[in-house]
Amino acid sequence: MVIYLIVRRFFFLVFVLLGLSLITFTLSHVVPSDPARMIAGPRASPEAVEKIRKDYGLDRPLYEQYIRYMSGVVRLDFGESLSSRRPVNQDLKRYLPATVELTLYAMLFAVVSGIPLGVLSAVKRNSLLDAVTRTVSVLGLSIPSFWLALMLQFLLFAQLGVLPDGQRLPIGVKEPPTITTLYTVDALLSGQFGLFLTALKHLAMPAFVLGFGSLAIVTRMVRSGMLEVLGQDYIRTARAKGLEQKTVVIRHALKNALLPAVTVIGLQIGLLLGGAVLVEIIFSWPGIGRYAFTAIQNFDYNAVISVTLIIGFAYVTVNLLVDIMYVLLDPRIRVV
Amino acid sequence: MTAEPRTTEQRPLVLGLAEREVRRQGPLAWLVAFARQSPLNVLALILILLFLFLVAFGSALAPHDPVKPNIQVKLHPPSSTYWFGTDELGRDILSRVMSGAKYSLGIAFIILSIALVIGVLVGALAGYLGGLVDEVLMRVTDLFLAFPALILAMAIAATLGRNLQNVVVALTAVYWPWYARLVRGQVLAVKEREFVEAARAVGASPGRVMLRHILPNTMAPVIVQLTIDVGYAVLATAGLSFLGLGAQPPLPEWGTMIAGARTFFREAWWYISFPGLALTLTVVGFNLLGDGLRDYFDPRSRQ
Repeated sequence: MVIYLIVRRFFFLVFVLLGLSLITFTLSHVVPSDPARMIAGPRASPEAVEKIRKDYGLDRPLYEQYIRYMSGVVRLDFGESLSSRRPVNQDLKRYLPATVELTLYAMLFAVVSGIPLGVLSAVKRNSLLDAVTRTVSVLGLSIPSFWLALMLQFLLFAQLGVLPDGQRLPIGVKEPPTITTLYTVDALLSGQFGLFLTALKHLAMPAFVLGFGSLAIVTRMVRSGMLEVLGQDYIRTARAKGLEQKTVVIRHALKNALLPAVTVIGLQIGLLLGGAVLVEIIFSWPGIGRYAFTAIQNFDYNAVISVTLIIGFAYVTVNLLVDIMYVLLDPRIRVV
Repeated sequence: MTAEPRTTEQRPLVLGLAEREVRRQGPLAWLVAFARQSPLNVLALILILLFLFLVAFGSALAPHDPVKPNIQVKLHPPSSTYWFGTDELGRDILSRVMSGAKYSLGIAFIILSIALVIGVLVGALAGYLGGLVDEVLMRVTDLFLAFPALILAMAIAATLGRNLQNVVVALTAVYWPWYARLVRGQVLAVKEREFVEAARAVGASPGRVMLRHILPNTMAPVIVQLTIDVGYAVLATAGLSFLGLGAQPPLPEWGTMIAGARTFFREAWWYISFPGLALTLTVVGFNLLGDGLRDYFDPRSRQ
């Protein structure tokens, strides 16, 4: 059953990647600008521009360019970035880990604080704690992330000076040796505890801002799931057996209430990867969101398409993992 | 934005109930009943009415010119003349926030109207016809859903040109698939019900069955989703403008104002605070309304 799901999703994944690349490719090639001129620079002679157009194959028909590009992509070669003049692969290797680390910490924050908040809020329904939690979750969904980011920078960096205003590490500080590419993990693995703390401090604000919306969603899902489960007969039975409140809530209710939350958490990871753009720009975070933004502004289509494909790939893959987990967690679900 | 944190809570909602009530009581009585259900509903209605009022009359009622510079009074803190202070060109921030409502909120309404029309069309066709049509339409829908929303919007806005019209195009492309999927699911659920069969049996044409019998009964979750999405669309519009891809200065759009305030936030807290507050409160209003409507339509949560 799981195998069937995976096979089906694999075909869907191929379809999505083809579609994404086609749309982005078309979009970036009907631009009212001339990529050859962009590469050559503003002062290049018409002959030089012509030569570049030939060299880069930009004079070929669109479908031919697309096929050429895609035959590279299949071999995981995303071409050369038109603005950095480096292979896009190299750029991605540099920027992707920053986004992954940021997203992981944002998600960690959302899950670790969202689940207990949701549970407590449901168990103590209509209490002060419930009211506060619900207010926080409405705010989490409503505050513009870029505004929250700027306000926090103002408060925690400019006024109080307790947190840095951006970047992964202070300028001049040597990054940890690359093991997993995540600075915090690498710092710990190489035994540099101070560096770990520094990296963590730099992550704090961006991860909080990025995770705040997800925190709200996780809290709401867990709360409404818990409320629904707590009203059911088997919970009453468990209580009637004389089990402690703690056991009932954690062992009996939470386990079942978490199921819908799993889906949402999965979806959030996909959304956060793509949604990190604003946060990355404000916190000068060297991730792929900021990379994509710069690329879009420079009509650097090789870079734009590769980022779109990678995020699309991550999104579909995470969804597949969520579905598999769902099937494994809930024996009632049968794949259709 | 935040391109849109979204809930996927898809509870089956019953409009029949609420719609019948609107017909019986009239819209005003319905509003009162809705407001009495929870104090949060009252707050939601107050916020939304306030901002709708600003969309309509904000520019006309603004105490100062929102666009004309007045360098003598640049970066003045809030005072009795300038309640929200002034910006780096001496423009009154209150006036700019008031006249900005029609850009931020107005654009969101336009985006969602178009997205709704496309989504309903695609969703209804897919759900009603089924088979190959359904398969093709839904795969295209899934494809758009897999697109990283903000990056898609950025690419479209940057490609077509940086202005609000293209923000509408970009965000419509982001939002329609959600409605297509939602409407399709509802149509699938409704089309086998007895009253639809009854309509067919008495010889109603497919178009009439769709428009008069199926679609009206799919609208409850769509309305809830729309309400919540107004907030997200406002955030997305402001986010794109903040990045310089949407409204351009000197338009008093809230996202553009926040972008302009960024450079001055150390010396002028009011400049960045008020447009952001206006944005937040608008979105809070629509989120609360969405929650309220969901509870109202959901028969399980009624006493």
